[in-house]
Amino acid sequence: MKLIYVLSVLFAFLCCNLISSKDILADSKYSETEVPDGGTIIGNVKYMGELAAVGLNLYRDWELSDTSKTTSEKLICSKVNSGLKNAVVSLKDITQGKKKIIPAIHPIIDQQNNYFIPHVIAIVSGTTVDFLNGDEQMHNIHTRSTRNQPFNFGTTYKQRISKKFDYPEIIKITCDLHKNAYAWIVVLDHPYFDATDRNGYFEICDIPPGTYTFQVWHEELGTLEKEVTVHPKETTTIEFVYSQN
Amino acid sequence: MKPKVLLNKVSFWCVTAVTSAALMQSIAPVTANEVKIPTEVTDLGKDTYKKYCSPCHGEEGKGDGPVARSMLPKPRDFTRGAYKFRTTPSGSLPTDEDIYRTVSFGVPNSTMIPWDILTEEQRASVIPVLKSFSEAFEVRKPDAPVEVGLRVRPTEKCLAEGKKIYEEKLECWKCHGIEGRGDGPSAAEQEDDFGFPIKPFDFTTGKFKGGNSPQDVYLRFTTGLNGTPMPSFAKELTDEERWCLTYYVMSLIKPEETKK
Ligand code: HEC
Ligand code: HEC
Repeated sequence: MKLIYVLSVLFAFLCCNLISSKDILADSKYSETEVPDGGTIIGNVKYMGELAAVGLNLYRDWELSDTSKTTSEKLICSKVNSGLKNAVVSLKDITQGKKKIIPAIHPIIDQQNNYFIPHVIAIVSGTTVDFLNGDEQMHNIHTRSTRNQPFNFGTTYKQRISKKFDYPEIIKITCDLHKNAYAWIVVLDHPYFDATDRNGYFEICDIPPGTYTFQVWHEELGTLEKEVTVHPKETTTIEFVYSQN
Repeated sequence: MKPKVLLNKVSFWCVTAVTSAALMQSIAPVTANEVKIPTEVTDLGKDTYKKYCSPCHGEEGKGDGPVARSMLPKPRDFTRGAYKFRTTPSGSLPTDEDIYRTVSFGVPNSTMIPWDILTEEQRASVIPVLKSFSEAFEVRKPDAPVEVGLRVRPTEKCLAEGKKIYEEKLECWKCHGIEGRGDGPSAAEQEDDFGFPIKPFDFTTGKFKGGNSPQDVYLRFTTGLNGTPMPSFAKELTDEERWCLTYYVMSLIKPEETKK
């Protein structure tokens, strides 16, 4: 009886594998090639609107100098150059290019002082993310994705939960015990993307020469698009500006 | 061909035939009473759903049927494939048997009645209809059910251990309250994935939505309730600790509350 059970599980497993690998193939429009003469795009994402009232200060307990104008997690913007943090810049509809490198060291999202750190990460499909709990209390990690299997795990101090994200999707992660804590994982099916740093800068390199639509996504401000021509072995600078709406 | 080889061959084919027959049987979803759950949407299924389920769950399974408006908890929106009562891990789709069970036993404390007025065949026939409402069933398959270990005895020591987990290690009280009345400090602000308010379960009533046996309770906090804030605690506990927590949670039932 046990053997039959084991066999049937094995059989079901094989079936699932066949089906899901077919799925992935059907889904991904991206193929890898050599890019000997790729160009680079560097740039800056800015936010020129009025800023929301000063909220929390994430670096309060960390003795790091704080250079942001706003301190709400939703909208972090540099005082110096209006650079917008946590925006994700990517190439839209790219079908061919450099190899997708899946990081062997898993990116981490940690829960510290009841917040998720970092607040936004961008990853290539197939990447495993490790979720940690750095607080000496209970948290949970709750996602609502459809393509990638969602999950909701309760975690105690020092727990580590590893989850692989196989399909392109923008996923919000929340903790139901601390309602203002949340984070975003942006999964893309190609390696041409970057999340902006705290001065709004990004860099995308080894792009096959040609004209592409670049897209920037921000959780509060939505998306912007721009057509850009990439020249062989050259660096082009672009800028995205979210004006107030 | 030498007779011995022939014999070998024959016995080989016999074994293969028997195992594959057994395989077929164990793959085809069979419930306790050997009801076959169809894999495709049938006319019987469509008719049954339209007549008995769509007034609440809606024509397209969005949980927005004509009588659903003022209801809380809301009838399930089937479009995301988020099912609360499962034997499968957090986030996974349910097995067909999980759905069959919920349809047959209903959901206490809600308007979802046990559908034992329908025949077993009718209940089985709506399952492919429910699944057809969500693309999740096309892109994913349910994970294997979680393992439920051998039950331990509910000794006093075990109950004390369960209490410690409930109050200190996993802090269930933050949502469910120290006495299990569903009134913990985080209880008021909870909402489900569809944006509706949801109350952490009041254990004192004893009317567990997912079933009243220790195994049901064990499964609820091990697998979590998909689409709700109730997390899965799959990684945090050993099997024995799980049973202790189960007994402790069930010890919070107040007999006088169950009669209400
Ligand atoms: C009177 C309204 C009503 C009718 C009619 C109704 N349901 Fe429901 N159903 C509900 C409500 C309300 C819930 C949610 C209960 C909860 O989440 O506590 C629900 C939940 C469910 C679930 C979710 C189980 C889970 O694990 O999340 C299934 C499956 C289901 N119903 C199937 C059916 C089927 C099949 C029929 C028709 C035979 C049906 N329902 C008819 C009100 C109804
Ligand atoms: C983030 C808040 C939260 C935490 C923490 C939490 N729960 Fe829950 N729990 C809920 C909610 C909300 C429900 C009700 C879902 C519903 O009614 O559909 C629930 C339902 C349940 C149920 C299902 C009851 C039934 O109707 O079948 C059990 C069992 C349970 N919780 C046990 C636990 C245990 C044990 C812990 C601690 C290890 C725990 N919960 C921690 C929010 C929480």
